Amino acid sequence: MKRLLFSLTLLGSAWASAQSATPPDAGLGDAAAATAAAAAATTGASSAPAAPVQPKKIDPRLFDSALQDYFTGNPRYAAPKLFEYTENLPSTDENYAWAQFFLAKSLIELNLRHAGAVYLARIARERTNPAVLPKALEELQKLTDLPHDELMIDEQIFGALDLGFLPEEVAGYAHYQQGLVDLRVGNERWATTHFSKLPETSPEASRAKYAMLVTRLRSSKKELPKEMIDEFFELAKDEKLTQDARNDAMLAVARLRYELGDYKGALAAYDLVKLPDLDPGRATLYLEEAWTRYQLGQIHAAMGILTTLDAPSFRDEFQPDKYLLKALVYRDLCHYLPAKRAAKELTRKYADSLEAVREREDLTRDARLLRAASARGGTRRAKRFFDSLEREGENLGRYAGTFGDRLFGYLTRLYDLSRAESLRVYNERLADSVRVEADRLLRSSEQVRLMEYEVGLKLYERVKRGSKLVALIQEEELKDDEVAFKFVNEYWNDELRDYRFSLKSRCIEETAR
Amino acid sequence: MYRPLILLCLLLGAPALAQLEDLENPGTVSAVQQRAYRMQHELNLSVGVLPLDAFYKGLYAQVGYTAHFTDTFAWQIGRAAYSYAAKTGLREQLERDFGVLPTAFDEVQFFFGSDLMWKPFYGKFSVLNRWVLHGEAFFMLGASLFKFTNVWRPGVNVGGGGRVFLNQYVSLRLDVTNNVVIPIGGGSVALTNVMTITLGLGINFGATE
Repeated sequence: MKRLLFSLTLLGSAWASAQSATPPDAGLGDAAAATAAAAAATTGASSAPAAPVQPKKIDPRLFDSALQDYFTGNPRYAAPKLFEYTENLPSTDENYAWAQFFLAKSLIELNLRHAGAVYLARIARERTNPAVLPKALEELQKLTDLPHDELMIDEQIFGALDLGFLPEEVAGYAHYQQGLVDLRVGNERWATTHFSKLPETSPEASRAKYAMLVTRLRSSKKELPKEMIDEFFELAKDEKLTQDARNDAMLAVARLRYELGDYKGALAAYDLVKLPDLDPGRATLYLEEAWTRYQLGQIHAAMGILTTLDAPSFRDEFQPDKYLLKALVYRDLCHYLPAKRAAKELTRKYADSLEAVREREDLTRDARLLRAASARGGTRRAKRFFDSLEREGENLGRYAGTFGDRLFGYLTRLYDLSRAESLRVYNERLADSVRVEADRLLRSSEQVRLMEYEVGLKLYERVKRGSKLVALIQEEELKDDEVAFKFVNEYWNDELRDYRFSLKSRCIEETAR
Repeated sequence: MYRPLILLCLLLGAPALAQLEDLENPGTVSAVQQRAYRMQHELNLSVGVLPLDAFYKGLYAQVGYTAHFTDTFAWQIGRAAYSYAAKTGLREQLERDFGVLPTAFDEVQFFFGSDLMWKPFYGKFSVLNRWVLHGEAFFMLGASLFKFTNVWRPGVNVGGGGRVFLNQYVSLRLDVTNNVVIPIGGGSVALTNVMTITLGLGINFGATE
């Protein structure tokens, strides 16, 4: 009993010494780094209690020297000086927040964006200098264009800012983020309040409209409101949005029209999706367009698009429907053996994944499912953030010499912990996404089995004497202003949307579609 | 003895193999695209060289107009060129060492012409696997009228050329033709060949796309 009490006392004192060993500001608002320091201290506690670190006396000229380094293009020399400055001066010092700001800028310029974001976030939380705050927020906003810590920047900073004092541009972005947070928790009314404060001409206003529409679409369970299509269509023409966002809006139009059975309208919307020159585009776009064309009876064009999906750019895409559609096209042209083969291709290609699903194995270990799940919205963002932390963590090693032990040690701990947290978030999201992909695969596999059965029946169907070939599905003729380049297994990015398949129907009267 | 038989058996298998491939992946695939560039009224500004004559090399500037009736057929309605003759070393030597008079050399001073163009080839090519350029190649058949130093002579020309489209309005065009000049006047009795190599900018007006 005594021994237990003694060890508890030891642990307690170790924790206390860890608290004092933590540099005065290094742990401020950064629980992760503090925990790491405490853990490090705890392990060494049994040998000797750590002495409290006394703040060094800092020459005020250090700040000027650091700024000179920064403005002469030497952020790697500016960073350790600014770190030393912020570590040894109280937060009430007039240059404290500026030192944090330029430390953040230096780190960002050295491609240590996450570390820079941590310092900018700290400025936003501490608010020691009102002059620095808007600048820090502007920098943070810029960082959101790249993979970033969504919890720290979007939710804890922009999602929780007091908006009264901010310049218009930053306030707009903060309103947008706070509206998004409200939407995410299902509070549309509050979100609308935030979004209504956005200037109508701002890009955030358009993005907010898009977010609102998507949320409403998700909540409308059965009936699809038709006016929503027009609203998405308007957004797709909104020049304030990025081309990607406009394309997303146009895809939404196409999908809604498809759901309503307006295949021609859907096809027109797919045609309006603009890709940059020689951009391969997205596999989902092609597959959806192929289904739309199939529904319109343009089966040769649909099959042409499926050729696109075999391009190297999409070889790793998870599109089990592709094989089903291919089988359907061959079946409709009464080429039953190729139809059967196309259907079997799915079970052959995804055999390992299907086996993993049936055996109830850990699906995240299946390479195909993992890749597919990692490409989904939130999981993809989490993966990209984790990868960026990995890269930045490796990049940090280059500055071990110039940064000095304290800054380097601090940043190493910061990156280790952030990486661990981002990996946790990624794994959490992955577990959900991988299940969705596995469901998709299973559904396709079931449909393919049905198809195989149907095609098997057709294969052995008796042909009556005197039956004639009928060509109900006509191939489109080449027009005067068109040119045809025969496909010989060489994919050209500018042709990916233009492949057309040519195959004569072998259907006879009875079995023609 | 058995060798021809074995060879025959092997050859007989080839069509079967081809059929198997066709059975497995029936159908063909083509990329069908709208023609990216179509010509209509073309104003052509070019420079060229007459490289064949041993006594001088003609450097000329040319203006032309071409009407493109379809994507495969066009008529270069008119072209006019003015040539500057750059003497070769041989001619200088003849004049200097052998006292040959400069008037003894018949030089092309300017010429006019008209050509029919047949453009069966249209295609594209990749540049450094980063850009795609479109182009066409064509054949030409036409007639020219040459003004030599002392005499006018007609000629018939055949040739070919190519065009690379820079954008909808501007293209780079290279023509190479050989003119068979008919010996009329000036005491000449033999057919002569005047080759032209022309590089120019084609400016396109009124194309629908």
